[in-house]
Amino acid sequence: MSQLAAVARAKLQIARHSIASVQTESKLKVSVISVCAFGLWLGAFFLFKEGFEFLMRFGADVSGSARGIGSIVLTRMLGVLALAVFFMLIFSNVLVSFSTLYRSREVAYLLHAPISFRTLFVARFFECIAFSSWALAYLGSPLILAYGYTTGAPLIFYVSAIMFFVPYITLPAAIGSLVTLVLARVFPRLRMSTIILFGMLAVLLLFVYWKQSMGVNRLSEDTFLPALLDMTSQTQSPLLPSYWTTRGVLAAAARSYGECIFDFLLLTSNALMAVWLAAETAQRIFYMGWSSLAGRERGRAKWLGRSPLAYLDGLLKALPNPERALVIKDIRLFWRDATQWSQFVIFFGIMAVYIANLRNMSGRYQQDFWRSWIACLNIGACTLILATLTSRFVFPLVSLEGRRFWILGLAPLSFRRLVFQKFWLSVATTSAFTVGLAILSGSMLGLEPIYFALSVYSVIITNFGLSGLAVGLGTLYPNFQEDNPARIVSGMGGTLNFLLSVGYITLVVGAQTMILQWRVLGLYTSDASFYMALAIAVVFITGLSIVSTVIPLSLGLRNLNRMEF
Amino acid sequence: MIRTENLTKRFGSKLAVANLDLEIAAGEFFCFLGPNGAGKTTTIKMLTGLLHPTEGRAFLGGHDIRKEPLQAKRIIGYIPDSPFLYEKLTGREFMRFVAGLYHLEDGRVAEYGEELLEIFELRSVADDLIEDYSHGMRQKLSFASCFLHDPKIVVVDEPWVGLDPKNIRFVKDYLKTRTREGLTVFMSTHTLSIAEEIADRIGIIHNGKLLHLGTVPEIKALADRTGSLEDVFLELTQGDEV
Repeated sequence: MSQLAAVARAKLQIARHSIASVQTESKLKVSVISVCAFGLWLGAFFLFKEGFEFLMRFGADVSGSARGIGSIVLTRMLGVLALAVFFMLIFSNVLVSFSTLYRSREVAYLLHAPISFRTLFVARFFECIAFSSWALAYLGSPLILAYGYTTGAPLIFYVSAIMFFVPYITLPAAIGSLVTLVLARVFPRLRMSTIILFGMLAVLLLFVYWKQSMGVNRLSEDTFLPALLDMTSQTQSPLLPSYWTTRGVLAAAARSYGECIFDFLLLTSNALMAVWLAAETAQRIFYMGWSSLAGRERGRAKWLGRSPLAYLDGLLKALPNPERALVIKDIRLFWRDATQWSQFVIFFGIMAVYIANLRNMSGRYQQDFWRSWIACLNIGACTLILATLTSRFVFPLVSLEGRRFWILGLAPLSFRRLVFQKFWLSVATTSAFTVGLAILSGSMLGLEPIYFALSVYSVIITNFGLSGLAVGLGTLYPNFQEDNPARIVSGMGGTLNFLLSVGYITLVVGAQTMILQWRVLGLYTSDASFYMALAIAVVFITGLSIVSTVIPLSLGLRNLNRMEF
Repeated sequence: MIRTENLTKRFGSKLAVANLDLEIAAGEFFCFLGPNGAGKTTTIKMLTGLLHPTEGRAFLGGHDIRKEPLQAKRIIGYIPDSPFLYEKLTGREFMRFVAGLYHLEDGRVAEYGEELLEIFELRSVADDLIEDYSHGMRQKLSFASCFLHDPKIVVVDEPWVGLDPKNIRFVKDYLKTRTREGLTVFMSTHTLSIAEEIADRIGIIHNGKLLHLGTVPEIKALADRTGSLEDVFLELTQGDEV
C-alpha cells in the first residue's frame, strides 16, 4: 500500500468512526439539526429561485416569450459570484493550510515516518480542500439547482456543475497552500497574526479597487444595464478560472458540449498543474519552513508586557473574583489567538461596509412605506450581525476551556458562576458593538423617534437572548476535545445554535415589521391602537428573549453539573 | 483527612472501581499503585470531584465532595499527569488566574506566587507564554499553582512524567517536607522505587479492587519471597503490566 493510500485510509476510518459516533448522540438533537440544516438548504434554494425568476422576468416582454436583459444580468452575476468565491477560497486556504501543514500535531507525527514532503503535502492537502470548501458545497448546491430549475437546464448542466466543482475548489486550494508554503519559508519568523494581517490587507485593497470600479451611485443611473455590464466586465476575463467555470457550466446548459469540455479541461489541467507545483514546492521548502517555525525565537516576554492586556488587572479591579480572573483569562486568550481576533476584525469590516453604505440610503427615501421597511431591515441587519458574533465567538467559550476544564472543575467555583460569567461577558462585549451600531445606523438613516427607539431596544434585548442561546447551547453541547473555535462552531451544537439564533431573530424582527407595516398600510383605526399593538409586540419580544435566555442557560447548567471530566 | 466509603464507579457495564474503603490521616504520604487500567486515575478523579461516583462517598477534610464540593475543593490541590494549561497565558498570568479562582488576595499572589515560581525555577520564564514551555516546565507550573492556595491535601497523578532527575529529586523532597508540615499527599505512580522510598503507606489496586493496604514493610511481607517493592508488586498483581 502506498503511503498516500495509508494516510487516506486512516482518514476515511476516522471519518467513518465520527459518522458512526452520531448514533450515540441524542436522537432529538440529531433530528433537530438535520431538519434545520435541510430547512436552511431549502430556504436558500427558494431564495435563489425567487431571485433568479425575478431577474429572468426583468426586461422580458409581456408575454414573457422574449429573452430579457435579466438573463444577461443573471449570467454576469454568476460570474461575479464565482470570482468572489474563488478569491475567498484562496484566502481561506492560506489560513487553513497554515494550521493543517504547520500547526497540526499530525504533521509532527508524519514527519517521523520515512515519507517524502511531497507525499505529506498531498496527504494534508485533501484535508485543506475539505475544510475550506464544504460550506461552498452546502450553500452552492441550492444555487445551482435553483439556476437550473429557473432556466429549465438539461440534466447535463447538473452533471457538469458537479464535474467543474472539483477543479474549481482544487485550484484556489493549491494557490492558497502555495502562498502559505512560500510565506512560511520566506518569513520564517512571521507570526500567524502578521500573515493574517497581510491577507486582510490584500482583501481590503481588492475591496477598495472594486469599490472604485463599481461605485454604488452608478447603479442609480438610468443607464443601468451598460453600467452594470461595464463594472462587471473584469469578471469575464478569459484569464480567470472562475470565468472558465461559469462559461463551461453555462455552455453545458446551452448544450454546447465542445465549449463545455474545453473549459473543463482548461480548468482541470490548471488545477492539476497548481497542485503539482505546490507539491514540488513543498518537497523543496516545506521542511525548512516547518523547522524554522518550530524553532522560532521565544522572545515575546517584552512584547507581552507592553501590550494593553497588561493593564486588564487594573481596569477590572471592581469585579469580584473569581469572575475577574475568568474575564481576564478569556480576554487574554481571545486576543492572543490570531484566528479569533482576525475574524473579529472581519466583522468590523462588514459593519464598516454596512455603515458606509448607509450614507447612500439616508434621505433618499421619503415615502413612509420605504422608510418603515428600511427601519425594519436595519434592525434585521444589526441583529443578524449580533447573531453571527454570538454564534462564532460566544458559543465556543465553554468548549474552549477544553482539556483544561480540570482547573475549573477543581476550583471552589460553582458552575453557575462560571456560566453566568460567560453570559455577562458576552452581553457586555457584544452590546458595546451592536448597540453602538444600532444607534449609529439609526441616526444615519434619520429614523423617526419611534423607529429609532424600537431599533435600539430590539438590539439591546436580543443581546440577552442571543447570548443566552449561545452560552446555554455552548454549555449543553460542549466539545472539550477541540481547541479550534472554528471547528467547535461547525459542529452539531454550533449549527443548532446558529439556526435557533436565526429563528429567534426572525420572530423578533418579524413581529415589529408586521406592526410597523400595518401602520404604513393604514390598518390601524387610531394612534392608540397602533401604540397598543406596538406594546404587545414589545412584550412579545421581551418574553421571547427571556425564554431564549433562561431555558438554554438552565439546560446548559444542568448538563455541566452532571458532566464528568 | 481523606476518607472513602464504598466508593464505586461503573462505566456502563465495566466496573472501574469497586467498593473502595480508605482512610488516610493528615500528614500522611500515601502511594496508590496498580497496573494500567486498574482504576487509579478513576479513583483520583472521584476524589477530586471530576467524576461522580456510581455509589459510595468520598470525604476530604470531613467534607463530602458531592454534597459540599466548594468546601472540599478549597483544601485540595491536584496535579494531573498531563497538565493541560492555558497555552496563551504566561506562567505568571496563569498563577494570577488560579489565585483569582481561589479568591486569594493580590498581595499573596505577589509574594507567595513569586516565591513558588522561584522554588520551582520558573521565574526566568514566568513572562513567556505557556505554549513555549517544555512538558517538564508545564509540570512544574502545575505544581507551583497547586500550592498557591496552601492546600491541606494534594492529589498527584503520576507526577514524574517529563521531569528530569534533578527535578524528580526536588519534587520528591518538596512533597515529603510538606507532609512533615501536615500536608496529606495521595499519589498515584508507576515509579515503584520512589514509592518505596517516600510512602508512609501503600495501597495496591487491581481490576478496580483494593488488593492490599499497608506500610512498605507490611506490603513486602505479603509476598512469598523477599525483594524490592517492584518484585512484590509484580507478584501480587500476578505479572500484569505496571
